Amino acid sequence: MLLGASTYAHYSGWSLTRINEQKVAPKTVRDNPGSYRSMYWGYSRYIGGK
Amino acid sequence: MTTPTVTPQFVKPKALNCPNCGAPVELRGFAHTLNVVCPNCHSILDASTPEFTILQTFQRKERIEPQIPLGTRGKFNGQPYQVIGFQVREVDSEGSSYSWDEYLLFNPYYGFRYLTEYEGHWNFVRVLSALPVELNTMGKPAVEFQGRRYRHFDSLSARTNYILGEFPWQVRVGDVVQDRDFVSPPYMLSAEATPGEITWSLGEYTSGKQIWAAFQLPGSPPAYYGVFPNQPSPYEGKPAAFWSAWLWLNVALLAIALFFTMSSADREVFQNTYLFTQGAKTEAAFVTPDFELTGRPSNVEISIRTDLNNNWAYFNFALINEDTGQDFDFGREVSYYRDSDGAEGKPNDSVIVPRVPSGRYYLRVEPEMEPRILQSMSYSLTIRRDVPSNAFFWIAGVLLLIPPVFITFRASAFESARWRESDYAPAVKSGSGGGGDDD
Repeated sequence: MLLGASTYAHYSGWSLTRINEQKVAPKTVRDNPGSYRSMYWGYSRYIGGK
Repeated sequence: MTTPTVTPQFVKPKALNCPNCGAPVELRGFAHTLNVVCPNCHSILDASTPEFTILQTFQRKERIEPQIPLGTRGKFNGQPYQVIGFQVREVDSEGSSYSWDEYLLFNPYYGFRYLTEYEGHWNFVRVLSALPVELNTMGKPAVEFQGRRYRHFDSLSARTNYILGEFPWQVRVGDVVQDRDFVSPPYMLSAEATPGEITWSLGEYTSGKQIWAAFQLPGSPPAYYGVFPNQPSPYEGKPAAFWSAWLWLNVALLAIALFFTMSSADREVFQNTYLFTQGAKTEAAFVTPDFELTGRPSNVEISIRTDLNNNWAYFNFALINEDTGQDFDFGREVSYYRDSDGAEGKPNDSVIVPRVPSGRYYLRVEPEMEPRILQSMSYSLTIRRDVPSNAFFWIAGVLLLIPPVFITFRASAFESARWRESDYAPAVKSGSGGGGDDD
């Protein structure tokens, strides 16, 4: 069952990556990419470093 | 002429009266019986003499009722036996006394057998006529009998505490024998030594249910407690079987993973290089040209390669279906710092977008860097369709480990509980709590 589940998950293209899927993107994105605000905009800014 | 004198042969009666209290005493072992116990006053009588001399009088006030009453008949391996004797024996170990029950069974054709019972664990025992071969394996005593090797379990002094019924040997309350036990589940070899004699017997672990069925006793047997020295492990052979299954499942898993790795399309559908300048007055966000994703719904990998050095960048991505507007929205942070102490992070990264249906797509990209500094970064984006990803197979491999590890742990715990009562019990740290029942 485990083998079947992992095979199905792989075959179906599943991934462990966290992706937010919006159903429909506005048509204006292609013409005005800057007007689009992604779900992650301003979400994770790196402020660290060595 | 002399008349020859004929001494009449003494024939044991099947019943007699106790010379101590006058109660009737029944004999079931016929000529084999040497000692018999009066069921009323519990005096031990010598059944080998016509006057039934009193050998020992009963001193205890407590009377013990055997779980299998004397005279009960039962069948073992198709052979009928009758319970004719009962004794309680006891050992002292580390300041505590442990007692068990022994039943003497008799069949005039097959002879004597014994049943022992300790905390719900039963053994069907027969005395051996052949001697086991004593060995010494890795410094520990062992014996071999009929091709089977038995490990030494314990050596104790066993004392007879209570007797009922009749016995084919001289028996007294207070009798002491030196007992050595050797185990090879479900069998146990015991050597009982008295001055000048050693008796070997072979016991086979028998469940209480079998005993109750053999004697057709009412109700159900008392539940057993703990692990008996020769109790068969319910995990016997299971760890090996589970590890063998684990090995074969891993071979299958590896084969499936290899198949998918080799059969994945892993096709590059887009690649381009860009220059991003933070603080420039131009719009940072842009979209790529369309690209075609074909085949079944499968993953898409977006790889980012940058020339970052002691810096960071953040990428907002949106993978958008040109026709339906379906949008996969995600972000990726890339950072790379290094100094004399070493490096942290990587200038490259990748992300896998799951289950992307076929169609025409474009990618919206919006890079960001530290906003207060005028700086630039060169980076390339590569988009691949149906890349091999073995994450789920790795997870499956780890999950497959759980059953064999669990069963191995349980089997080991069972054996630890078995040997905890032996002469080879592992040392217990002072102050540690007692273990629970492991049945």
